[in-house]
Amino acid sequence: MYIIIVGAGNVGYGLALELYGNTDYEVLLVERQRQRALLLREELGELAVEGDGTEVTFLERIGARRADLVIAVTGDDAHNLVACQVARHHFGIGRTIARVNNPRNERLFQLLGIEATVSAAAAVLAQIEVDLPEQALIPLVKLRASGLEVVDLHVQEDASAAGVALRDLDLPERTTISLVISGEGANVPDGDTVLRPGDEIIAIIDQQAEPEMRALVSAPLAPGAEPREPTP
Amino acid sequence: MKIVIMGCGRVGSTVATRLDAEGHDVTIVDLETQAFRRLPDSFGGERFAGSGVDDRVLIAAGIREADAFIALTQGDNRNLFASQLAKHLFRVETVVTRVYDPLRAELFADLGLRTFSPTRISGDLAYDSLFEGR
Repeated sequence: MYIIIVGAGNVGYGLALELYGNTDYEVLLVERQRQRALLLREELGELAVEGDGTEVTFLERIGARRADLVIAVTGDDAHNLVACQVARHHFGIGRTIARVNNPRNERLFQLLGIEATVSAAAAVLAQIEVDLPEQALIPLVKLRASGLEVVDLHVQEDASAAGVALRDLDLPERTTISLVISGEGANVPDGDTVLRPGDEIIAIIDQQAEPEMRALVSAPLAPGAEPREPTP
Repeated sequence: MKIVIMGCGRVGSTVATRLDAEGHDVTIVDLETQAFRRLPDSFGGERFAGSGVDDRVLIAAGIREADAFIALTQGDNRNLFASQLAKHLFRVETVVTRVYDPLRAELFADLGLRTFSPTRISGDLAYDSLFEGR
C-alpha cells in the first residue's frame, strides 16, 4: 500500500516513522518548506521529499496515480482540504484523511466528502472535558451519518431532571436514554426510572441537542450567571 | 447585488471600486488594514479587516446576505477554501475564485466553482501579443 503524507510537522513526521517500520506500507513524506525538507532528507533519505502536496504536476512526479491513501496533516486547513480534493478528484485516490486544525472547519470537510478527519483541537478539547469532574455532559462518539452522538451525562444536585421519572421528562427529539449508572450498578432504564443526583447516564442524542441535555442535568444557574458556551 | 470580496490587492481593489461605482453593495475583506489604502476616497463600500478563511469573519462581513463572493488573495488554496465555504456552507449563488495554478483552476471548475487562472490568461496574452499584426 502506497501512502502519501502531506506535511512533515510533528504529526506527519511521527506518522511517517510509525508507518515506515511496517513492510506492508510504502510511505512518502511531503514537505513544502525547503529547510525542513532538506533536514528530513538527511535523516530519512528517500522517505522524504520537498514539494507542494496540492500541486498536480508535483503529485504526478511522485506517482500519486498509484497511491492508495493520502494523509494531509499540515497546520493549514486550506492546504489539507485542497490536498485531499486534488487526491480524490484528479488522481482518483479512494482514501484521504485530513487533519482539521480548527474544529469549526470540520463541517466543510464533511460537506465536501472528506470524511475521515482528525481534529487535534477537538481531541484535546474532548480530553479536557473528560478531565473536568463537574462537566454535566461529555460527548463520547459522534455518529456522522445520522447526526446523533453518544454522550455521558452526570445528573447534578438540584438539576431539573433529578427526582423525575423518565416518562415525565421533556427530552429533546431523537433522545434515547440507554443506560443509567447509579450506586447499584448499570441498569437499562424504563419509563418509571427516576434519576437521582450523582447518576451517570449514557444516552444517544441529536448533536444539536447538547445544550438542552446539558441544561436538564445541570444545577440551575446562579442568578445573573451566563450559560456556558457550547463546545464548537 | 451584495458582493463580498476577499483580498484587497491590486485586483481586489480595482474590481471593488468598479462594482461600488456601479452601485453594488460591496464589502471588501483583507487581513491587513493597510491594503485598504489601495481604495480611492470615493469608495463607498465597507472595509473589513480579517481572514476570509475564517467562517466567523465571513459571517461578520455579511456572507449570509451576499449574492456573490470573489476570492482574490495571493494563495490558491486559501481562495479555494474560502470559496467553498461561501458556496457550500453559506450557499452564496455566485462564487468566483482566482487560482494561479491552471491545473487546480481546471479541477475546481469541474467541481463547480467559477475559477480563472491569471497564469493561463497572461500566458495566452503574451503569446497572442507576440504574433499580433503578423
